[in-house]
Amino acid sequence: MSWFFKSKQVNLAILVASFLIGFVPYFLKIPQIYEFTVSLTNVASVVGQFTIVIAIYSQYRRSLKFIRERRKGWVYNIYLLALMSLMILMGFTLGEHHATYMWLVNSIVAPCSSVVYGILAFYMFSAGARAFRARSLKASLLIVGGITVLLYQAPLTGSFLPGISPYAVFLSQTVGMSLNRMFAIAIITGAIMLNVRMLTGRELAFLGFAREEES
Amino acid sequence: MATYDKRWAYLLLFILVLLPMLQPIGMPISVSELTKEYYAQLQTLEEGDIVLASWSTEYSGYMELKPGMIATHKYYIKNGIKLFICLGHPEGLALVDALLDKELASYMEKYDYTYGEDYIILGFALPNQAATLAMATDFQASVKVDWKGESIAGTFLDRIETGADIDMISDFTTGAGNPGLINHVVLTFGTPMIQNQIGVSLPGSFMNLDAGLITGLLASTRGGSELELLINEPGPGLIAMDAFTLGHYLLIIFIVIGNIGYFGWTKRLAEEMERTTIR
Repeated sequence: MSWFFKSKQVNLAILVASFLIGFVPYFLKIPQIYEFTVSLTNVASVVGQFTIVIAIYSQYRRSLKFIRERRKGWVYNIYLLALMSLMILMGFTLGEHHATYMWLVNSIVAPCSSVVYGILAFYMFSAGARAFRARSLKASLLIVGGITVLLYQAPLTGSFLPGISPYAVFLSQTVGMSLNRMFAIAIITGAIMLNVRMLTGRELAFLGFAREEES
Repeated sequence: MATYDKRWAYLLLFILVLLPMLQPIGMPISVSELTKEYYAQLQTLEEGDIVLASWSTEYSGYMELKPGMIATHKYYIKNGIKLFICLGHPEGLALVDALLDKELASYMEKYDYTYGEDYIILGFALPNQAATLAMATDFQASVKVDWKGESIAGTFLDRIETGADIDMISDFTTGAGNPGLINHVVLTFGTPMIQNQIGVSLPGSFMNLDAGLITGLLASTRGGSELELLINEPGPGLIAMDAFTLGHYLLIIFIVIGNIGYFGWTKRLAEEMERTTIR
């Protein structure tokens, strides 16, 4: 029976069928298919949650390897495993609403998360101040644009220099947005191409057929 | 002067942020069109309308979104909007304590805003697109209990069958977040969505705003403070604005000083080379 699940054709057929079940209801309102799609989505949603088990397993395996081989930063991996084990243990034994578990979340996780985010401001400040150097005409234009947006972002500026607003808004909401849109289109186009390759059987590494493809 | 010890920059920034937080100056601020539009979208809601509050943020991001989150939720509480809160990040668990149990507790008490009747927390219900799609297409089959395992039957959530029954999505996010809300609720059911976004991710949100996928955008801490002003509920955002202004100006000053130093250094280096070159 294992040959069945290992077959490339069978895996590809399941992939195409799943794609069509999810894709067709966007264009054709067929109640039977729609209901089946809803059920399949619920199943996928539940199954998706089990990926956390794989993530935990992978992290343990990776960290233990670091510790065993005494790689750079191996001590931090001990700390990581200890805290991860503690959270898992507390979560499973006491539940996520228990005072002890919530204390860990509110008093350890939350402040550490805030501090890491907060200190980024200093690095960004320093990097910003050092990166804006008028080394060329393009760099000079970047400085003018950067200072315009920075001035606009400072809340006080609007009170004594309201005329800067249209320029800053144009830079951030037109120039910035168009560049972001270009990235988005590039990513989506790439995703569509990848999906077409997957559905036509040209890209099956994610199903574990990479070696077969290479050979 | 082309280079300087960056610790000076850190120290100055630290002082300029700390002092106005301890002793606010109260500098005037302007309200952007973006925030006015976000506020206009809030005003389209009527008492009893159901809003999905998506907290797709880590605790770190909450620090930046805090003024906007507090001000927006104050508006919902004051105007009797029904909220069901879904977390989009495991760290969101800490926000329940920080936002609802601490920041908004007295405000909810003042307006008699009670759990189960006016708001419900569904917990980490929006982890990925599949879960969002499941909730949007068949809400009652996907969600049966709240975050503490209590049944949601008999509450205002009985009125929701699909994403079409949600009057508005109020997203608080730190980045791309969960695109499922736009893909499976906004695009499929036409549910309006407003967003409170952190600064670095704003260009992506401008794109969605321009395309009409979101109808209102509150930009970072600055937007939050402007909303505090509009709803006349001063809070942490307005307190932070003095530090915000001074921090920005300090960065501009450092850029200018750095460039003066750069040109001075470059010119001196050229002169030095000219002087020492063997002819």
